[in-house]
Amino acid sequence: MTLTIVALLPAYQNTNGDSENAAVLRRRAEWAGLEARVVAVDTREQLPARVDAVVLGSGSDSSLEQSRGRLLTMHDELRTWGTEGVPILAVGTGWELLSWGIERPDGSSVEGLGILPGRAVPAPARITGDLVVASPRFGTLVGFENHAREYVGAEGSPLGRVRSGVGNSRGSGQEGVVMGSVIGTHLHGPVLAKNPAFADHLLGVAAERASLAYEPGPRAAMVDEYATAAREAQLGAVRAAAPLARG
Amino acid sequence: MRYAPAILVGRLVRFAARLRKPGGGSAIPGLIVNRIAPGYLRRTLSGFPQGLVVVSGSSGKSTTTKMLVAILRAHGVDVFTNPSTANISQGLTSALLERADWRGRVPGDMAVLEMDEGHGALVMQGVDARAVALTNVMVDQIDRFHDSDMVAGMLAKIAARAHEAIIVNADDAYLERLAAQVSPEVAVHRFGVSQAVVDATPRGLGYTETSATRLAPGDGVIVEGVDGRTALVNDGRAFITTSLPARGVHYAVDAAAAYATAKAVLGERFSAQTANEALGSIPPVFGRGERVTVRGHEVEFVLVQNPTSYQLNVDSIEPGTEQILFAMGSDVRDPSYFWPTDASSLRRVAIVSGSKSAEAALMLAYDGVEIDRVETDLSRALDDFLALPAPASGVKTIVFTADSMRRTRAHLGLSGAE
Ligand SMILES: [Zn+2]
Repeated sequence: MTLTIVALLPAYQNTNGDSENAAVLRRRAEWAGLEARVVAVDTREQLPARVDAVVLGSGSDSSLEQSRGRLLTMHDELRTWGTEGVPILAVGTGWELLSWGIERPDGSSVEGLGILPGRAVPAPARITGDLVVASPRFGTLVGFENHAREYVGAEGSPLGRVRSGVGNSRGSGQEGVVMGSVIGTHLHGPVLAKNPAFADHLLGVAAERASLAYEPGPRAAMVDEYATAAREAQLGAVRAAAPLARG
Repeated sequence: MRYAPAILVGRLVRFAARLRKPGGGSAIPGLIVNRIAPGYLRRTLSGFPQGLVVVSGSSGKSTTTKMLVAILRAHGVDVFTNPSTANISQGLTSALLERADWRGRVPGDMAVLEMDEGHGALVMQGVDARAVALTNVMVDQIDRFHDSDMVAGMLAKIAARAHEAIIVNADDAYLERLAAQVSPEVAVHRFGVSQAVVDATPRGLGYTETSATRLAPGDGVIVEGVDGRTALVNDGRAFITTSLPARGVHYAVDAAAAYATAKAVLGERFSAQTANEALGSIPPVFGRGERVTVRGHEVEFVLVQNPTSYQLNVDSIEPGTEQILFAMGSDVRDPSYFWPTDASSLRRVAIVSGSKSAEAALMLAYDGVEIDRVETDLSRALDDFLALPAPASGVKTIVFTADSMRRTRAHLGLSGAE
């Protein structure tokens, strides 16, 4: 039994390397002795018969409509995965597309797929920088954020509390949204590599659904030392700039 | 005469800055002159008898500018140009001051300026250029520019300053769309590569969006083939074999860009032979596959500046190269955008170093690369790496980002051109 990890729309939604989180899941599964593969899906026809985990990255605003159009052709599947508990990680504009909708500064809006609660509204200024989040599920999450919009209307179920950075919106103190096993976050790039506990949680859910046992392998333990060092380096720089907010 | 007081102040400041720190403080005089004489930059840039030519784009602009200047000078044109470190407003003003007479006038027939895509739109406000050459649109500085739309928008602002011609990379879909929007009296010249060159670069050209079709012979300056440090270029009338400052398709494209721009600017005066000789005379570039003997070892230096050059350079490292030092420095603030690249062909890296060594090691490990050691201290890493016995296969290879390159050069006492 091979775990199938879908990277959704990698051609449009991989601005910061977020799609690579699919490869991170595959590697960690392999290091645990499981068979795994990544399937890049740009059109509905490319969807594999069985899907064990999904990664949808962030894209540029000029491809919002195009990405939305493609996601709409897979609306039923996305809903089914969401209700069946298939882990879905959506980052940045990928997350926004799964929300109720995206508001533009000129008042127009892009209707979302409604998989996740909340919507994206224009931020006064682009939000970029280090983002540190205290998550009750995954511990301290460390990464970067880079987004033009704030996220509102999902205050009931965040991924965690912001300890440094902005997260969902200025003053909210929250980052991300969690609905069952569907997770939206501004943490971009290789967030699952840098936060192995997060990756292992998603893999654990995927494995359990496939009646497999997942236990991180020895190679993962070695590589996670690099992750620890990278996290420490970034946390050190963040702390040097300003004290961390209490988790 | 109107700028004389500002020029004088600028020069005094430059003198004072040098006294304090030899060779340093070069942007400060520009900052001061910009403040007390805000029209100086615009007036001076617009005042060259044969006009101003601007080179911009995400990558390749330094090399293209250097090549273009060499070609123009070989044609007898007295060119004013900016050092690549001075491509933003203050640095540019300082570079002009460096050459200005007491009235602020800068000698030269023509100015050729490398323009940062971020600051260029601002610097170029009110400045008239004869021609603007654009290399490509890549997302190589996510922190600053966020996405390719923004880069394309800024380049469009720079291109809008050209009143005679724009010269664009026809393989870059963003630039082709930009070219479709210039006013009809502005000529559009193109350069690009042949389908054969695309087919020989399995990972593509690295532009954010590559055009669906290639230039037809006669429609521009086309790179027909690249073999090591040699490129075969078809300028529509003749085939030219030219040598490049380093191996790699991107250098061939830079040469085609410089060639096409010189041709557009010089018109009747342009000579293919003179251009070719000028291109061939450009010294090899440090950190681009250059080999140097250090402490008795032959060492190859490979500079990576953005995901595209990273992929191209990693791919060009001989498979089975036994000893690799990989250094990522503080110039890479957020390494996320490097993750879509694939370094698995390196297979094994002896030492990962630099202030971002942990981030680099993490990325390499997920590409399936074996890492013998992570040593954040670059000086120690270099010493230990060079002390390793000579490799049985390949040469010692050092892959580094710009910041690590500077530190490496300083530590090893290597001078040489940027
Ligand atoms: Zn990679």
